[in-house]
Amino acid sequence: MNREGAVFVAVLALLWQGLASAGMLPGYLVSPTIILGEFVSLARSGELLRHSAVSLYRSLTGLALGAGLGVAIGLLAGISRRVAGFSEPLVSLTYPVPKVAFLPVLLVWFGISDMSKILLIALSCFYPCYIAALYGVRAVDPVWVWAARNMGARPGRVFFRVIVPGAAVHIFGGLRVSLALAFILMLASELIGSSNRLGLGFLLLNADAGGRFDIMFAAILAIATLGFAADRALLFIRRMLLAGYTVSEDVAHA
Amino acid sequence: MPRVARAVWTGIAPVYPVVVALLAWEAFARFGAANPRLFPGLGAIAEQAIVLLRGHQLGPHLGASMTRVALGFGLAVVTGVPLGMLMSRSARFGRTVEPLFSLGYPVPRIALYPIAVFIFGIGHTSKVILVALECLYPIAIQTYYGVRSVNRLYIWSAQNMGAGPSQVFWKVIAPAAAPHVFSGFRIALPIAFIVTVLTEMVSSTEGLGWLILYASASLVQARVFASVAIVAVIGFIVDRLLAVLRNRLIFWEREPVLVAMR
Repeated sequence: MNREGAVFVAVLALLWQGLASAGMLPGYLVSPTIILGEFVSLARSGELLRHSAVSLYRSLTGLALGAGLGVAIGLLAGISRRVAGFSEPLVSLTYPVPKVAFLPVLLVWFGISDMSKILLIALSCFYPCYIAALYGVRAVDPVWVWAARNMGARPGRVFFRVIVPGAAVHIFGGLRVSLALAFILMLASELIGSSNRLGLGFLLLNADAGGRFDIMFAAILAIATLGFAADRALLFIRRMLLAGYTVSEDVAHA
Repeated sequence: MPRVARAVWTGIAPVYPVVVALLAWEAFARFGAANPRLFPGLGAIAEQAIVLLRGHQLGPHLGASMTRVALGFGLAVVTGVPLGMLMSRSARFGRTVEPLFSLGYPVPRIALYPIAVFIFGIGHTSKVILVALECLYPIAIQTYYGVRSVNRLYIWSAQNMGAGPSQVFWKVIAPAAAPHVFSGFRIALPIAFIVTVLTEMVSSTEGLGWLILYASASLVQARVFASVAIVAVIGFIVDRLLAVLRNRLIFWEREPVLVAMR
């Protein structure tokens, strides 16, 4: 973060703290120090860890399932006209559909279980990865493929050594979108149906029902931290795997 | 005759996977081991869809949801586009608000919904604000990139030929940035639908999300699927409309690939 940005955030936090201490904010805007205190005490009691672990399990399993299928089918559609001819109409028809709408359906089929949440997350994560992988393959310079073939590479080798690395930058773009979606849908599915009283969404909802704004904000802080950390972890993996490729950094990391 | 057959085939060929998927669904509903109450066939779903479309139920819910989508998306457009432009035109402003994007982007804003409900109630306002908040990010970020990617030479030559600041903006920067701005809209629109349906499921008394949840709670799965199908068709139509509008306004350039975004 740059200097101006840090100052901006610090001023906002100080303003919030000052107004809250002076009693000039409504009761639901708890001061930052109280939120941090509650966050620490939740973390110490182990409660935060329990809820976070369950939420992470749901979102990351769903992400792995949806993104894995999305990337695999997207790559296949990228190299095979026949596969693309089958998958493209289905995807373009169902892509604009809000996938949350399927949550009640999944809840009836699989119960209020981890399964229904994981499947919903997987369904949503499929699309960005599929599209990114497909266009990633199409963006690979055909000259590279011809060159590899000309030098005697077999189709399998062309696929794994030329096409997949060539599409990797796009695929990571899709993965990043899917990661953000996985967190949104994890939270949504926990807000709508969390039976085993676990998960950050449940913690948030429960605090809401009890009017505990300090716990609510602490839960939001935990969700924000996890989302941020997961995003950074993905960017780190991307940097490791794509070392040497020119990856355009975007506004978020200027 | 072969000519007619070929014409029919070229008409059907692009959508044959959809037909295959529908047939597979029907086959599973008929011959699968699933309980027909839990896995209704296409006939039962169509019947419920007709009931919904004919009756008085759908109108108010559809109206409520579309109002929320339109207001939230509109709010995001009128705040996000100027924000993105300011960020790219002024380096200092860009650096100042940068944490909003670098820290705020990976955070699921939906977590703020319970607080928004507490502050604004469960009516339109809390949902509209959340929709706007989620849509703001793609729109502002794409606008920022769009304006930044304008070729300097175009700006310089316009200035050199005596164009004033407003002329440079409207004649050079705005048209050059427009394709990016529109791809921001295209990304944000499905998000507006998702957040609307989602917030209506969490807490509401009207709207398509509520309708789906209500049908589900009444254990009428065919109606759930009918409502989901209606939401799907509306989402598809609105997306197409935006694409048509885009191609009308930005006729000089083909649409860039959407997910290359982030």
